[in-house]
Amino acid sequence: MKFWLVRLASLLLAVGFAFGLESVVGHQFPSIYRLVVLAGLYITLSVSLNLINGITGQFSIGHAAFYMVGAYSAGFVSKALFSHQPLVPQLWMIVMALFGACCAALTGLVVGLPSLRLRGDYLAIVTLGFGEILRIVTQNIGAIGGAYGMNVKPFGSPPQALWLVWLLAILCVAVCRNLLKTAHGLPFLSVREDEVASAAMGVKVPKTKVTAFVVGSAFAGAAGALLAHAETFISPDTFKMDVSFIILTMVVLGGTGSITGSVISAIALFAIPEWLRNLQDPVTKDPIQIPGPALVASIISVVIAVALFKAVQNRFHGSKPAKFGLYLAAIAAGFVCKLAFTPILAQAPGLAAKSFEASALRMVIFAATLIILMLIRPQGIFAHHEFSWSWVAKLFRRAPKEATA
Amino acid sequence: MSTTGEKPVVLSLEGATIQFGGLIAVNNATFELQQGDLFGLIGPNGAGKTTCFNLITGVYKPTSGTIRFQGKEIGGLTPAKIAQMGICRTFQNIRLFPALSVVENVVVGAFLRHRTTLGSAFAYLPSSIRETSALKKEAMDLLEVMDLADVAQARSADLPYGKQRRLEIARAMATRPDLILLDEPAAGMNPQEKEDLQVTVRRIRDDFQKTVLLIEHDMRFVMGLCERIFVLDHGEEIAQGPPEKIRNDPKVIEAYLGEAV
Amino acid sequence: MNLVAGLDFSILPQQLVNGLLLGSIYALIALGYTMVYGVLRLINFAHGEVFMLGSYAALFTSWLLGFSPEAVRGVDRPSTWVNLVVMLLVSMIVCGLIGVLIEFLAYRPMRNQPRIASLITAIGVSLFIQYAGGLFLPQSPPPAISEQVNPYRNEKVSIVLKPAGQEIVAQAADATKKAAIAEKAYDDAQKAGAPADKVEQLRNDAQIASNDASRLQTQVSSQTSGLVIPYGQLGMLITTMVLMAVLWFVVQKTKTGRAMRAVAHDFDSAALMGVNVGRIITITFMIGSALAGAGAMMYATVLRTPLSPFLGVQPGVKAFVAAVLGGIGNIPGAVLGGILMGIVETLVVWLDGLVPGLSGYKDAVAFVVLIAVLLFRPGGLLGSSKVEKV
Ligand SMILES: Nc1ncnc2c1ncn2[C@@H]1O[C@H](COP(=O)(O)OP(=O)(O)OP(=O)(O)O)[C@@H](O)[C@H]1O
Ligand SMILES: [Mg+2]
Repeated sequence: MKFWLVRLASLLLAVGFAFGLESVVGHQFPSIYRLVVLAGLYITLSVSLNLINGITGQFSIGHAAFYMVGAYSAGFVSKALFSHQPLVPQLWMIVMALFGACCAALTGLVVGLPSLRLRGDYLAIVTLGFGEILRIVTQNIGAIGGAYGMNVKPFGSPPQALWLVWLLAILCVAVCRNLLKTAHGLPFLSVREDEVASAAMGVKVPKTKVTAFVVGSAFAGAAGALLAHAETFISPDTFKMDVSFIILTMVVLGGTGSITGSVISAIALFAIPEWLRNLQDPVTKDPIQIPGPALVASIISVVIAVALFKAVQNRFHGSKPAKFGLYLAAIAAGFVCKLAFTPILAQAPGLAAKSFEASALRMVIFAATLIILMLIRPQGIFAHHEFSWSWVAKLFRRAPKEATA
Repeated sequence: MSTTGEKPVVLSLEGATIQFGGLIAVNNATFELQQGDLFGLIGPNGAGKTTCFNLITGVYKPTSGTIRFQGKEIGGLTPAKIAQMGICRTFQNIRLFPALSVVENVVVGAFLRHRTTLGSAFAYLPSSIRETSALKKEAMDLLEVMDLADVAQARSADLPYGKQRRLEIARAMATRPDLILLDEPAAGMNPQEKEDLQVTVRRIRDDFQKTVLLIEHDMRFVMGLCERIFVLDHGEEIAQGPPEKIRNDPKVIEAYLGEAV
Repeated sequence: MNLVAGLDFSILPQQLVNGLLLGSIYALIALGYTMVYGVLRLINFAHGEVFMLGSYAALFTSWLLGFSPEAVRGVDRPSTWVNLVVMLLVSMIVCGLIGVLIEFLAYRPMRNQPRIASLITAIGVSLFIQYAGGLFLPQSPPPAISEQVNPYRNEKVSIVLKPAGQEIVAQAADATKKAAIAEKAYDDAQKAGAPADKVEQLRNDAQIASNDASRLQTQVSSQTSGLVIPYGQLGMLITTMVLMAVLWFVVQKTKTGRAMRAVAHDFDSAALMGVNVGRIITITFMIGSALAGAGAMMYATVLRTPLSPFLGVQPGVKAFVAAVLGGIGNIPGAVLGGILMGIVETLVVWLDGLVPGLSGYKDAVAFVVLIAVLLFRPGGLLGSSKVEKV
């Protein structure tokens, strides 16, 4: 009885949260509405890839393919059935999300089958290949817009999709967390750890792998279906290889196998470039310009700072506060380098005159962040840990103790 | 059960043979295990002992010959199917699930008896929660028996070697097999640990009523423990029988000395 | 036209040669992937970007040699093959250094980390070079290496495989002669101030004769099957073969090569046996990247590809597919896979005549072939799929 009450409460909480987010963002910050939608989609994508990659250990790097299958299948049906405003749009979107999920799950089944024969990097390249094949096929089919893309406008104006997107994200996180909390998660983990030993313990290895692919791709497909309806326009370019790589990066950067990590790094990795894209001078509202010498000096000093940081990490075995101090020193050294190099580089004739818009730098900064994070924390931000309240409690309990010591 | 008063046959190999390219790793192996046997499989390095295990547990499909388990032909079935039928094993080079905790390792073994569906786990239904705690409890009990309860929450990769070996046995036991295969369970153990292991293996047979087939290089260990022994050399049987007979068999002595010299 | 079911067989040999050329570029890149994978078990995603930088290195060298767009505008600068060799060497050296630098800065610190972490770093490096290149490298309009650098741009070897029938050749020669006579008659009449209608008549005759002649000429050339290979492409094939031979020699016959093979076979044991693993990895990156540099130079000059910071992505992916196809870690496999990939790709374009629209799938075919091969030979064509011993 109590169990069901808690369950009901958490369901209500989830729905309430989604609606709350919808209304807050929709009314207070309409300018970032689209970004919040995309962030929710990326959470779903990275958590669902984590199920395949991190939890089951199947090295899949073509996740964008499932996203695309969901988007195109749902988008095509909506486009074919409605020329304008149908029944309740939200309800229809839920139906379409289910439909997209089914189509993607079927694709996942097909892509998952090679995983029975192939391992590691060979599987990776095959999943990547499937993704590329599907994208190129889509590009060549005129009926769904070919390379130009497809307009999905069943509802005239874009519908309020944010709450659905976030509900899907919550559902995806919940499903993966539940799996790991029950004994059913163990075969998935054991397949990752050792297939031969798993099979010897009676784990149906092929079924487990394919299940991971099917479930993971179903979530990606649902995300795709929502994307098609929220954006009202999709094109094969939306689902390029880079997107697969970014999703993979989210998983690894968060810590392979950690759901919390996937969520956090999905938000962070998505937010960094978007924040840079919109960076503008607070007064003039012009895009911020970065002079060439400063940029090159920054790149050099970041390299130096990271090298120092890494050296401290590996070589220094003193007390914690001392190590922390050295870390700060490494970062400070980076800043000093930047200040020192900027005037020197300003002497270089070609460079001094150049300047770059901050938004043009966003992918560079994104890539640099990625490399630096991996160098400093290769096991990912959360490693294989999960967020839990006891963990938070421990953090707080420890903090005052150290302060007094 | 049988009319002759003999115990029922659990496992029987008849002419089991496997060939890797030109190499015949096991040739025409024929032996029988009865319920409650403590059976030893010995032979010099590379004799084909582990390959024999691999044939029985479905890792390889025999090139010819039959393997029967409780009267059913199992040659060529998948390892998972064979494990579900009631044969479980340990590995010569320990194959635990390194990143999982000790108790999780054992639950993987126990999991083959699960009843709830995957869907109920996704939805976190009470049934799957109950099942999870039941399996955990079972696993803890086994760890108690194997004297590993104190490290239940440790990462299995962090255990010392001897404990890893015992954990492998615990994990195999968790599948509740009728026949358990142990591949060099005493390798790398010190004399005290070996003695403890002998006691444990006997307990597995006596208290848990399992049939045990084990590979071991330590002659003292095998002779002191097993009631019947099968000797392989270059994939072929060279002797079969009780320890006293094996000890004095000229062919066995030659095989071992021939290797040592 | 010689059409069978929509296919033009007369251009088939030419297409095969084109495929071989493209394939040898893929092979050069694939070698880098395969060698690095061999020693480090790392998919070096930044390899395509090294290739891209190599093509820019060739471009800048050609500008330094005096073939910048401003310098050559309207001037027919003579070029010698020395220019090409200089560009090739500079590309190779620059790429070799960049490869070593990337290894030192990004991969070396990840040596003892999980493989997936190195992989993500590789993706990061690849994105970084692409987009940083977008900031600093000239890209709009896409620069291309001036045709003038190529001293052989007009010289070709032609190999006739099957000449056209004598009858039609004779007819064509006849028609050409007649056309010349008719032309002359018209010219003469015009000069002599013949009556307008007469001139008009002659003009029409000349027109018809010349149409006839050109129609027959086309027929002759379409019935002649054979190849025309520019000297540049021939040079490229030879260069590729020489480079591969050198690589083979280094790997098989030198001490360094033996150490490389040892590291590829078993990293840890090689280290224990006193192989300087760090040095071998550096050398591997250097050689692999230099080969990509050579490929890049030829891609930009002989195949006349316009440059962009994203130039390396497609060939990079295809070369990687080629490496996997041949069996990743296997050097002859990479060459075989690369050439196969190039030929399959051009054949698909050629088959467009049979199945209209097929050429749109040109980039997908690489993957289709790969998947088909891997399903039957999970270790690639020449690779051995290691069975895990239990
Ligand atoms: N998958 C395989 N492919 C090829 N040869 C194999 C394979 N598995 C085993 N062998 C070979 O079969 C022979 C028997 O090996 P096996 O591992 O069964 O020996 P063993 O009796 O267990 O020896 P040890 O006492 O050293 O464990 C060996 O020569 C081995 O190399
Ligand atoms: Mg063995």
